[in-house]
Amino acid sequence: MTDASKIRNFSIVAHIDHGKSTLADQFLLKTGAITQRDFRNQVLDDMDLERERGITIQMHPVTLYYKLDGETYELNLIDTPGHVDFTYEVSRSLAACEGAILLVDAFQGVQAQTVANAYLAIDNNLTIVPVLNKIDMPIARPDDVIAEMESVLGIQPEEVLRVSAKTGLGMDDVMRAIIDRIPPPSGKPDAPLKALIYNSHFDSYKGVVIYIRVVEGTLRKGQRIKFMRGNTDHEVAEMGQFRPNPTPCNVLGPGQVGFFMAQVRKLDDVHIGDTVTEANRPTAAALPGYKEPQPMVFSGLYPTNNDDFEELREALMKLRLNDASFTYLPEVSEGLGFGFRCGFLGMLHREIIQQRLERESQLDVVQTAPNVTYEILNRNGEVIVIDNPQKVPVDGQIEEFREPFVKISFLVPAKNIGDLMQMCAERRGIYQRTEYLSTSRAILVYEMPLAEVIYDLYDKLKSVTHGYGTMDYEFLAYRAADLVRLDVLVHHNRVDALSTIVHRSSADKRGRKLLKKLREEIDRHMFEVVLQAAVGSRIIARESIAALKKDVTAKCYGGDITRKRKLWAKQAEGKKRMKQVGQVELPQEAFLAVLESDD
Amino acid sequence: MSNTRPNNSIPNWRLPEAAYIHIPFCAQHCGYCDFAIATGKDAVRDNYLDALEKEISKLGKPHPVQSWFLGGGTPTELTATQLERLCLILKQWLPLTGEAEFSIEANPDSTTEDKLAILAYHGLSRLSLGVQSFQEPVLQLLDRKHKNPQVERVIADARKLKISSISIDLIFGSAGQSLESWKYDLSRGLALQPDHFSTYGLTYEKGTPLWKRMNRGEIIPLEDTEELAHYEAAIDTLEAHGMEHYEISSFARKGRRCWHNQVYWENSAYYGFGMGAARYVAGKREVNTRDLDSYIQKALSGQETIFQSEQLEPREEAVETLGLNLRRMQGANRERFFMRTGFHLDEITGPNKDHLVQQGLLKDDGESLSLTRRGRHLADWVVTRLF
Ligand SMILES: Nc1nc2c(ncn2[C@@H]2O[C@H](COP(=O)(O)OP(=O)(O)O)[C@@H](O)[C@H]2O)c(=O)[nH]1
Ligand code: SF4
Ligand SMILES: [Mg+2]
Repeated sequence: MTDASKIRNFSIVAHIDHGKSTLADQFLLKTGAITQRDFRNQVLDDMDLERERGITIQMHPVTLYYKLDGETYELNLIDTPGHVDFTYEVSRSLAACEGAILLVDAFQGVQAQTVANAYLAIDNNLTIVPVLNKIDMPIARPDDVIAEMESVLGIQPEEVLRVSAKTGLGMDDVMRAIIDRIPPPSGKPDAPLKALIYNSHFDSYKGVVIYIRVVEGTLRKGQRIKFMRGNTDHEVAEMGQFRPNPTPCNVLGPGQVGFFMAQVRKLDDVHIGDTVTEANRPTAAALPGYKEPQPMVFSGLYPTNNDDFEELREALMKLRLNDASFTYLPEVSEGLGFGFRCGFLGMLHREIIQQRLERESQLDVVQTAPNVTYEILNRNGEVIVIDNPQKVPVDGQIEEFREPFVKISFLVPAKNIGDLMQMCAERRGIYQRTEYLSTSRAILVYEMPLAEVIYDLYDKLKSVTHGYGTMDYEFLAYRAADLVRLDVLVHHNRVDALSTIVHRSSADKRGRKLLKKLREEIDRHMFEVVLQAAVGSRIIARESIAALKKDVTAKCYGGDITRKRKLWAKQAEGKKRMKQVGQVELPQEAFLAVLESDD
Repeated sequence: MSNTRPNNSIPNWRLPEAAYIHIPFCAQHCGYCDFAIATGKDAVRDNYLDALEKEISKLGKPHPVQSWFLGGGTPTELTATQLERLCLILKQWLPLTGEAEFSIEANPDSTTEDKLAILAYHGLSRLSLGVQSFQEPVLQLLDRKHKNPQVERVIADARKLKISSISIDLIFGSAGQSLESWKYDLSRGLALQPDHFSTYGLTYEKGTPLWKRMNRGEIIPLEDTEELAHYEAAIDTLEAHGMEHYEISSFARKGRRCWHNQVYWENSAYYGFGMGAARYVAGKREVNTRDLDSYIQKALSGQETIFQSEQLEPREEAVETLGLNLRRMQGANRERFFMRTGFHLDEITGPNKDHLVQQGLLKDDGESLSLTRRGRHLADWVVTRLF
């Protein structure tokens, strides 16, 4: 058991791509946890998807040993995700630390998630070690960026360390700063055990693996422990630390970070944020824990083949084992049959779940356009939660229709402020304030309906700012608005999965756009396909897809056969992702058409 | 050696009885063409024949076949001497047996009498002439440089040399072409009294100059309905003149179908030699490199010229067979299909088949499955929905 005075627990927080994973790799190298030979980029991003997309999705703890001035220190590093959807994961990591490295790209400067994550760290009372990364880049502008850090986050310029996580330049100073500036954990080893569960994952051989940070007392192998929330007893069967590979140990004392298994078979028995204590000598008060994240974005997932419903349920269940922040409930759609309404933290989360599902289950699924959660106050005073446009009651029963609002901060080049403000005005944004980081960059704060944010805001921001703008948002409250359900009729049948909730003032425009898009996505049929958009019984737009008259390739000789078969195979594959609605085949893209804007 | 093979003989499924030889050279690159071709490479043509000889000689011993098909490119771009040499190579390694068919694709402007004479001497039985149109504006759009009198001359020469089957290729549905203009091309073609027609709707193959012009909006393709009217007119007119519509794009006088092409639609085996050539031997599909220099260099140094190779799974092979069979008006015969693939036809088709029959796109008489006239226009669509 390492003495608490020799332990430092810290996270790295940064805007996406500023170099967290690369810096984490340097720590591993620097401390000899891995050798140059085993070194592959971004060691901690071990989910395939994380490596492929270059993003960190789940947090990865690692225990490192480092010698400074003759003393060996135990450093626990917890890598964190940098995307707005995973703010919840960031705050979980931070609660297990005393300090955080605030990493800022020396070219890109302070960005939206730099600010958001820095405040999260400050709110958690963490000591911040500011680090400027990528100073090896010729286009780096270290002095400007340090000035930005000072003006926005109140960081003392002389405290900022300058490094290159890529080359390793400046790493010694970072190591020293971690040990000198971040306070060691407190806590008595002989007090009753009090450990925070900050994450867990499901291993098909070992059951639930529980990630903990000991706050008080000592965790021992063979010890009988108690989960305070469920009040259940278990015996610690195996325990260890990540170095970075799971390495067994027998005790973990105050401040130490590690994992244990206790023959827990169901992930639901373990609550993130719960406190672990001794069964025989429980601690008096549990740790405060975390707020559960609420899914903010919902969409329907339907098996293309209706017989796959049970398989889909099983696949979703498996996914949830490792990602409790996503939810699913069975639902029925007239057009699509049996499926599930799934809830996600945000759009990236949704995309990732879909990809994992495809990769890990081989099921063909159709996904409907995402929507946010609404609230409706009924005439009889009841508030109903609407996570699916199909659930909107008829007009006469609605007293008040409410939608979620978020506070959204943009960090943009000053010269794009005008365009940004126009973009926000078009999306019902309510201006709050502007703050200048420097003469050339500013933070703009708005309040805006979340629905407008998920619709196309991110893409728009990138195009308005030529890629230089970033954003971050947090939930504010549900607010009343003049909302209506926009329906789509395909060949005179309402397709419930294509319905969306929109603001009345934009219904016509959205309806027209949506039909144009659907017209492109739906293949031609043997008959003319009529598309209509409607609010209530009022038709607001109409399009038609001409009947298919001709589809035959003229030549087919020896050399063309392979090509031809591939074409057939491709089309047959495409058909697998089609849903038959009445006489019309709708491709997956049609259900997502609602999302895309085309201007 | 005599005339064309009888239509009803069934080619071997696994061991080739047909050989395709690719001659990639062309005088210029036509705007719509995406074949494996090479222009302005006069200097390497002899090397190419050396390479071809080397590739074919890998057979190790002579393999008798029942058809040669010289395709391109433009085989008639070779000189008379080169053609003579090519025939000798083929005779040595792929001797024709029985009632063999020997076809060549020819361009009106490069097919001289001396070349034809040499080919006829070696048994040429089928001349497939790339006419495409009889009208200057259409020819210009297609980048074709020949003139009508050249077409007439080549046909006259071929008749004189007793080449037994003459086919002409025509392209319909060119941008801006009216139905009247297409009917005019058909009547001009019929006036030449060929034995066979191949008619193709103009396609804008990705990456071709014509496709680029279309994307720039310089050319506006015909509407589907207009192109369809052209196709219908071809079927009506040619059938009225005693031509049998036996495959989506092919029409023949009785007894004059192209045997070699039927090998493809039967999904039987065939050899392929030369740059970019495809072959199908013992269930394996292979394609040679489409790069002229690397083909020559690899073949000459005895290396593998194959660029893609794929051994089909039995079911894939069956799916492919059905798709190809359906290009023929006779369609797919259940018994023959079973013998060919080992699968019952109805195991390969999905539940959609009956629906397609009801929609009037397929005909099923219990023995054979085939496309209806309406189904022919939608052949690709029907096939992808069938499996
Ligand atoms: N030139 C340079 N590139 C770096 C440095 N640190 C990270 N990068 C690059 O920046 C990109 C994002 O880094 P990554 O560690 O994945 O960022 P994360 O999203 O914060 O985890 C990668 O392409 C890294 O190679 C650095 O110090 N110098
Ligand atoms: S169309 Fe024929 S002549 Fe023209 S480039 Fe293609 S192969 Fe050569
Ligand atoms: Mg990362």
